[in-house]
Amino acid sequence: MANVRIRSLTKRFGGKTPTTAIDDLDLAIEEGEFLVLLGPSGCGKTTTLRCIAGLETAEEGAISFGERAVFDASRSINVPPNKRNIGMVFQSYALWPHMTVRKNIGYPLRTRRVKRDQAAQWIDDVAALVDTTPLLDRYPAQLSGGQQQRIALARGLVARPELVLFDEPLSNLDARLRDQVRTEIHELHGRLGFTAVYVTHDQVEALALGDRLAIMRSGALEQLAPPDVIFEEPATEYVAGFIGMGNRLVFERHDGAWWLDGERVDGDLDGIAAGSTTVVARTRPEDLDLLEPGRDGAGPGALAFPVTVLDAAFGGRHLDVAVTTGTTRLLGRIDAGERGGWPRTLERERHAVATVKPRDLAFYDGDDRLVSGVGRAVGAGV
Amino acid sequence: MATQAAPRPAALPWLRLDRLLTRLGLIAFICAIGYLTIVPLIRLQYLALKNGAHSYSDAYTRTGWWQTVRWTVELGLGSLAIALVVGTGLAWAAHSLPPRLSLLRVIPILPIVIPAVSSVLGWAFLLSPHPGYLNQLLRLLPWWHGFDGPFDIYTVPWIIIITGLALASFIYLFVSSGFENINGELIEAAQVGGSSRAGVFFRVVLPLLRPSLVYGAGVALLLGLGQFTAPLLLGRSRIISVLTTDMFFATQQIPPDYGLAAAIGSPLLVFGIFILFMNRVLLGDNTRFITHGGKGGFRQSAPGSKSAAAVIVLYGLLSTVLPILALVFVSLSRFWTGDVHFNRLTLGTWRTVTTQSGVMPAIWNSVWLSLAAVAITLPVGFIAATLLRKRREHRIAAPVLDFIVAMPLSIPAVIFGVGFLMTYTARPLVLYGTRWVLILVYVTLMIPFSTRMQLGAMAALGDAYTEASRASGAGPLRTNFQIVMPLLRPAFGGAAALMFVLLTHEFAASLLVRAPTINVMGTILYDYYENGIYPLVACISLIMVGVTTAGVVAAMVLGGGSDAFKRL
Repeated sequence: MANVRIRSLTKRFGGKTPTTAIDDLDLAIEEGEFLVLLGPSGCGKTTTLRCIAGLETAEEGAISFGERAVFDASRSINVPPNKRNIGMVFQSYALWPHMTVRKNIGYPLRTRRVKRDQAAQWIDDVAALVDTTPLLDRYPAQLSGGQQQRIALARGLVARPELVLFDEPLSNLDARLRDQVRTEIHELHGRLGFTAVYVTHDQVEALALGDRLAIMRSGALEQLAPPDVIFEEPATEYVAGFIGMGNRLVFERHDGAWWLDGERVDGDLDGIAAGSTTVVARTRPEDLDLLEPGRDGAGPGALAFPVTVLDAAFGGRHLDVAVTTGTTRLLGRIDAGERGGWPRTLERERHAVATVKPRDLAFYDGDDRLVSGVGRAVGAGV
Repeated sequence: MATQAAPRPAALPWLRLDRLLTRLGLIAFICAIGYLTIVPLIRLQYLALKNGAHSYSDAYTRTGWWQTVRWTVELGLGSLAIALVVGTGLAWAAHSLPPRLSLLRVIPILPIVIPAVSSVLGWAFLLSPHPGYLNQLLRLLPWWHGFDGPFDIYTVPWIIIITGLALASFIYLFVSSGFENINGELIEAAQVGGSSRAGVFFRVVLPLLRPSLVYGAGVALLLGLGQFTAPLLLGRSRIISVLTTDMFFATQQIPPDYGLAAAIGSPLLVFGIFILFMNRVLLGDNTRFITHGGKGGFRQSAPGSKSAAAVIVLYGLLSTVLPILALVFVSLSRFWTGDVHFNRLTLGTWRTVTTQSGVMPAIWNSVWLSLAAVAITLPVGFIAATLLRKRREHRIAAPVLDFIVAMPLSIPAVIFGVGFLMTYTARPLVLYGTRWVLILVYVTLMIPFSTRMQLGAMAALGDAYTEASRASGAGPLRTNFQIVMPLLRPAFGGAAALMFVLLTHEFAASLLVRAPTINVMGTILYDYYENGIYPLVACISLIMVGVTTAGVVAAMVLGGGSDAFKRL
């Protein structure tokens, strides 16, 4: 098994609008680690993966697997993909339609000249592992999407490669299958212990699978950390926004009080933003609650401010409510309560009080640096 | 990990050598194709410009030169106008067919399949002023009298009409294959938005197709200007000449004047290169082959129209059925007098056709020279298409290759014929008088088709299959042999069959480069036509149709079906 080192990797695309897909990227992936590259489309995550695979050639930088340099622009080393000993799972599955499932899975073994009976054994093993033994003699076109993706997975793993690369493998599956195959990938990694690089734009997938997540933005790393750290302490507002902290609140201090977009805020932020007059906070819709005006119910230390309802949508156990205060638009996911209860009466133009606990907020200073993450006691973060 | 990757001294020189060999191979490949497609043209120009370009001054000061140019332009523009109207109309009609008549969509493609010589001769038998069968029929009508007419096929308007009807097939292909690439939801959106079917066609579909329609019109104009068969066969008796026939006669005079022929052809050469260049600039690389996403194609939403079917059937009747019927009739007559006596029909000509001098060798030559050319062109096209796919890797080589590969498509075959005649009667390669010169000319003419069709198929295949193979540890060779080629097998079949069809048709270039002892179907047909042995000419025409049809059936069986023709 190998670790992967990426040093100063830069990849540009020419054409009518030249773009820098990867911008001086440094990244180290440890042996046996499951690293997830996460970011919106166009952030360079897939290009990075393809450079690791050798399917794209970067202009500058170096990539090594363990002791072996597979790419080094300064030394003109560029090992072709077939000599890199990798496995790869594609978004479109890329199962060759003219080969049976058995031949598809066995292909990496044939290219590696594995002996016939041993290859047959390995194919059976990996098919059993992904639960597709009955499908071995069918053609890909006869399989469902989920089955195809399992075969693609088996093909990526069968030759026991040093490194397995996943290029958004679940994005063509429907929601239920996606959860199922995701769990299977997690289990397989736990059992086989391969080194993995996994590209996705889905934060749920990333949080569930990754030992560490690399959040990318414009071809560079925005944050590299374990999923719980990313979840609780997103390093920048960009990361916070990407992993679900969609609500952005700009608090200002003047006249001896804290204000949010012209509305006075009940509660105290001094413990977090002592000495500064402006602080930006990010929070998830789940952590924003709404109260009937005049009712008390905000927890101790919670911040409270008046809002106007824009829209409320019923979601079963919860309600998704869009509210506004000044020009700030916020989303809250609140408990739907019982039929006839106050939350169910929410509709456009209704007034309410929004509350949020400071420990559910991530705070950023004027330079987009994290001041205090989620889950910290107030005052402990500075 | 702070340690650097261990130095691997062996890797470096080996990789460099590998890259050097690849590059040399690439250059050799481009040079070989360039030798076929460019060198004949350069030699022609060299000859025309020799001795102070006197060939040019000769050509452009001859009496009748401007008349020839005028007829050429009339033929080009006139046939283009007819082709645009008829071709678009046919595409519209094909789109409005009732579902159970959807097989009729094949009819507008038939004129591409029927050899041009055959249909032109068929029309000559129909509309010759006195003996033409159709003319005789029309003279039975009360308002037409006299010994001749009412129509005269041997005139410029009729040459234009016949050429236009044939070119309509190309426009039809461009427009109707464009339909299939349009995302069906775009069309449904227009219908939901309140457009009638005609409204959708003219307001949404045609504007969407504008780039490919402009390109299609450019190609049709080139074909019209470079048209050889109809002006040669029909224009001869009234001394109507266009640039291509003028070139041909310059090579047939004694002694042949190749410099003059080259000078005469130059306007076509310049215009061809201009269209090629404009196409590259306007349309970019191979975007027109990429199938668009979404739910593809038109779906029938309104009941089809019967008049649409009638339009298509009428076109089929005029462009295909009538000429072939005329050929059949003449082939069953003793002489072509125009008399219609059903009781005097005879199979005599058919019985003796195999024993007529040169007929069997010509058929045999047509078949095996075409097969040989296909066998060479298919792998050449595969390599060219593979290189063109990797445009990003070959920043200089790919555009150069693209250009030289496309040359034969935009330059009339007559020019290539003269160029080949020149090039291979002189050193270093003296091949005139052998079958090789025909094979080489056929390979040259087919390179663009082979490359384009395979490139289209590769683009449709996408990169994921090959990337998955490379990531699974397969090198480029194994990837090509085990993944790409099996997946492209239908495209190979379709391309091979199409090229076979086009080559067994081939007339213009064959007529120029043949040696007196080596004939193909088209040239022997011309010889017997010149000698006025019409029943035999009709027989050979029909045999050409038969051979071609066999090729088309092969195309349908080998996969691709009529799609094979749409890849053009």
